[in-house]
Amino acid sequence: MSGTIEVKELVKRFGGLTALDGVGFSAEPGQVLGIIGVNGAGKTTLMNCICGIYRPDSGSIRVAGVDVTGRSPHEIAHQGVGRTFQIPRVFGRMSLVDNLLVPVLDRKLPDRQLLEQAEAVLEQMRLIDLRHNHADELSGGQQKLLEMARMLMPDPKVVMLDEPFAGVHPQLCRFMIEQIESMRDGGKTVLLISHDLTSIYRLSNTVIAMNQGKVIASGGVADIRSNQQVIEAYLGD
Amino acid sequence: MSILILNGLVNGLIVGAIYAMLGLSLSLLYGVLRVVNFAHGELVIAGSFAAYVLFSVAGLPPLASAPIAAVCFFLFGWLAYYLLIPRLSRSDDPETMSFLLMYGLSITLAAAMLLAFGADSRSIDYEFNPVSLAIGPVYIATARLYALGVTIVITLMMGWFLFRTLPGKALRAAQMNREATQIVGVNIVRLSALAFAIASGIAGLTGVLIALVFPAFNPFSGAEYSIIGFIVIVLGGLGNPVGALIAGIFYGVAEQMASVFLPQALAQIVGFAILVGTILLRPTGLFGWRAMR
Repeated sequence: MSGTIEVKELVKRFGGLTALDGVGFSAEPGQVLGIIGVNGAGKTTLMNCICGIYRPDSGSIRVAGVDVTGRSPHEIAHQGVGRTFQIPRVFGRMSLVDNLLVPVLDRKLPDRQLLEQAEAVLEQMRLIDLRHNHADELSGGQQKLLEMARMLMPDPKVVMLDEPFAGVHPQLCRFMIEQIESMRDGGKTVLLISHDLTSIYRLSNTVIAMNQGKVIASGGVADIRSNQQVIEAYLGD
Repeated sequence: MSILILNGLVNGLIVGAIYAMLGLSLSLLYGVLRVVNFAHGELVIAGSFAAYVLFSVAGLPPLASAPIAAVCFFLFGWLAYYLLIPRLSRSDDPETMSFLLMYGLSITLAAAMLLAFGADSRSIDYEFNPVSLAIGPVYIATARLYALGVTIVITLMMGWFLFRTLPGKALRAAQMNREATQIVGVNIVRLSALAFAIASGIAGLTGVLIALVFPAFNPFSGAEYSIIGFIVIVLGGLGNPVGALIAGIFYGVAEQMASVFLPQALAQIVGFAILVGTILLRPTGLFGWRAMR
């Protein structure tokens, strides 16, 4: 139950557009749930609803058994949900270390301890040599790593990664895949959005395919690969 | 002539340091809340009146009333935030509503001061001993030197707070990306309340310094200081507190030098000329975000 996420009948409308139309799934700790779908299918809107950027019109989201539907982003983060964005939203004019200290503002730990923790996470992400640089001096790929490091700093139970491999060098992609495997093996629940199907199929235990705000298929990798609806809507022929 | 220029430079630096305080507090507020506080000048003048009351009623010298004003205005800002600002987020158009709200608050504060103190200009009849100090060929009013000292202390304290403490780092993070700051677990409402309270505290303290340095103030003076504050934050780059500090000093020196070289009527429009020129030529401000590095 510690990092279980359960989403039921989630609906989000923007005016006349229904971006999410009764989306539901669940994922357990130690699992990677891959989320695929064409652009505009509702994948990022789903993550935005889970992390509190958008308030869903109906449906429910439970994290570790706690209903977090419609709560504010910081409350959801405190419940153990972390995320990254397709275009990294790092704090550009702050050092890498300071980027990692912002999420632990409320931790009642000595500054020294927090600093050591931040440096350990940066070490893990191979960014330690750049720790005093400003985030906006990093390359796009490094910024994605930094955002991942910032997400990991408060040790979340559920991590949501939005297109982590988009525009990233293959070598860095491989390193990111290792990091995601390490998160999964460390008992985190991972939700992964990607258009890189090879990576999705390699990492995911379960995949959901979305189209026009609906889940059109869910199941194991083999099921999704052979699902005719998915092939028609997303993979083409 | 060279003494006149030197005098202009020194006074510009001191007046500019006070303008920098205006810019610092306004910039902090805009950066974190994205709210343009039209009532900032009225808060500043309320600080001047607070110093006036503390001196007239309790005999407290302005320098002693400065920390009292800072704390009282900090608390006022904290309360005012929770009373006024969170309601804006429920509006469909929070930015336009914030303009109207702050303009209304500005009128209300000015009217309250008018009711309490009347329309006459006031000044604090307090003199330092000696009244002025000679530094080389330049005579500087002791009050101005003290005011400069206070601004330096506040700047150092704010620098320490913003760059060395976790809440300060969170405030800077919110200036850079408000949404990402919330996503990583920072309570943005509480952080915004802190920014509003700090900005109000600095505004109150700046008001005390204005009462100390400038000859007089009245309930209508607030608009003038709001405008100066806006010029300073546009010059320094919106939401950039370090840029606001530098821009404040730049503006103060430009204003004082203009009064040395230009006729009185022309000198008064220098600030606006700088503002218009900056918006036309460099809309991100003279320092953009580089000064934060």
